[in-house]
Amino acid sequence: MKEYQVCNRCIMDTSDSEITFDEYGVCNHCRNFDENIRPRWFPNEQGQQMLLSIVEKIKQENKNNDYDCIIGLSGGVDSSFLAYKAVQMGLRLLAVHVDAGWNSEIAVRNIENICKKLNIDLYTHVVDWEEVAEVQRAFLLSGVANQDTPQDHAFFAGLYNYAVKNNVKYVLSGLNFATEGILPASWGYMAMDLKQVEGIYDRFGRKPLKTFPKVSLFKYLVYYPYIKGMKVIAPLNYMPYDKDEAIKIMAKEFSWQYYGGKHFESRFTKFFQAYYLPAKFGYDKRRAHLSSLIVSGQLTRQEALIEIEKELYPIEQLQEDKEYVLKKLDLTTQEFDEIMKSPNKTFRDYPSNHYLLEKLRTIRGLLKK
Amino acid sequence: MYLRPRVIPCLLLKNNGLVKTVKFKDPRYLGDPINAVRIFNEKYVDELAILDIVATKEKRSPNLELLSRIAAEAFMPMCYGGGISTLDEVKIILGMGFEKVVINTSAVKNPMLIQEASGHFGSQSIVVSIDVKKNFFGKYRAYINCGEVATDYDPAELARKVEQLGAGEIFLNSIDKDGTMSGYDLGLIKKVSESVGIPVIACGGARNVDDLSMALHNGKADAMAAGSMFVYYGKHKAVLITFPNEEELIKAGVFT
Repeated sequence: MKEYQVCNRCIMDTSDSEITFDEYGVCNHCRNFDENIRPRWFPNEQGQQMLLSIVEKIKQENKNNDYDCIIGLSGGVDSSFLAYKAVQMGLRLLAVHVDAGWNSEIAVRNIENICKKLNIDLYTHVVDWEEVAEVQRAFLLSGVANQDTPQDHAFFAGLYNYAVKNNVKYVLSGLNFATEGILPASWGYMAMDLKQVEGIYDRFGRKPLKTFPKVSLFKYLVYYPYIKGMKVIAPLNYMPYDKDEAIKIMAKEFSWQYYGGKHFESRFTKFFQAYYLPAKFGYDKRRAHLSSLIVSGQLTRQEALIEIEKELYPIEQLQEDKEYVLKKLDLTTQEFDEIMKSPNKTFRDYPSNHYLLEKLRTIRGLLKK
Repeated sequence: MYLRPRVIPCLLLKNNGLVKTVKFKDPRYLGDPINAVRIFNEKYVDELAILDIVATKEKRSPNLELLSRIAAEAFMPMCYGGGISTLDEVKIILGMGFEKVVINTSAVKNPMLIQEASGHFGSQSIVVSIDVKKNFFGKYRAYINCGEVATDYDPAELARKVEQLGAGEIFLNSIDKDGTMSGYDLGLIKKVSESVGIPVIACGGARNVDDLSMALHNGKADAMAAGSMFVYYGKHKAVLITFPNEEELIKAGVFT
């Protein structure tokens, strides 16, 4: 049994089974941020210049089209702030919302306010709810940690497929190093790996999937970018992005409202991150999120240590959400308790393209040298 | 204190999903009814109408399992319509917590049901819906069977008849206006609401709060129901659940 240890710089700890510490007690995530992420992160004048030239290029290429780019809009902080910034830069956006059946009232109200106040056109892809529920149910029964995969896969597949189908080349993504620079690989798995989605569904699903949005790794990594010319841009990495500041600006500009936790705009994600993961696996995603804010300079370690001590899920709320989630996913309390008690599985216990992805990473690394 | 006429989102069920039609056709999938009801809850909607648009056509009774799950989720008063043909079904649905049931086809085919149901459960819980389409000669006609079968009834005449049988409310649906977002058929609403003493809920065609106001003041409706307006946003008709806030309704003159 490994002894408990917390990083001296961020607050990542040995709940990440693969964490390592150097002689100063600093973890591999901090080192990875310094060595691999910081060089690709431009929250400064240089980033502003880079972004300006990207935006000019996008406008130039799309001057004969209805829209310059597509933006995935969930109503959460990152995508909302990105929409605000993109409009400021004069991009003509088509917002695409993928509805997987878990929207909270705050999320839909935020989307409405953003689109109305910023005058953005919106398209919604409603995923067949009964299919989403089946895939999520299968994932819960599989006992893996990456329970966000079904929703995330549907979100990204829905977004990318729509962009390619409608010949919009640029997709703006809210992904950002400022709030997501640290995320231990052992806590989750890549949602774009369709082999994993189908592998788990083959085993635990109960009926054929007809319309669930899917995108294969080949399409995602080769066909869409190289043949169809789709480009995914993450503008938040080219500007200073302070989450608290962003929330304040959005509240003032378009009555945007916070829902109290990263990705809690989806009722399922909240239940999964604040209950399933900590209770079954001992993973507290706030730890990674707060650590990201520390290394990006938005929070002191001391502040993060106070924040992580706060109650994760008030018990009445947990009870209410649990009942709601299980009812929606057609699981009884006994079935769910059984899932929580049975041995933890990892993505490696089911089919995946992990091996292939590792190979690709190595090849890419070699090519860079 | 403001006078608050009821504004009622009207949600359509097909199988286990929520849909929206245009002129009672081309149902477009909108997602999970449970989640939608929950969002309307949190928007503090006064009342909700849930209509199963295929039950009668499929010759089956209401989907009680789904209805009980919806009823358990909703805080606001709700009415349910679709496939109701017996007193027993009325009893079960009211027992689940629905405030009212909506009856359409059976009101024409078996008028005794309206009389018996209102006798047993009170007029306030029995709503008769009248689906209206203009015929070839431009005359209003009441339709049954999910808008597929024409009756000989003029809608005002049918409204008077069911009022006498004990119906407590008329849910007046314009098939020609359904899903078009082109404004209510004010003439139709006025004609029916002036023919009866019971409240008339106008439905079909609303695109914004001004339309609600017109149905109230010009059409003399007692309450306004709408579908598209509360589930669609913008020119791409993006699915997005929305409900006007109090200030908007005051400004448009719906709340006075």
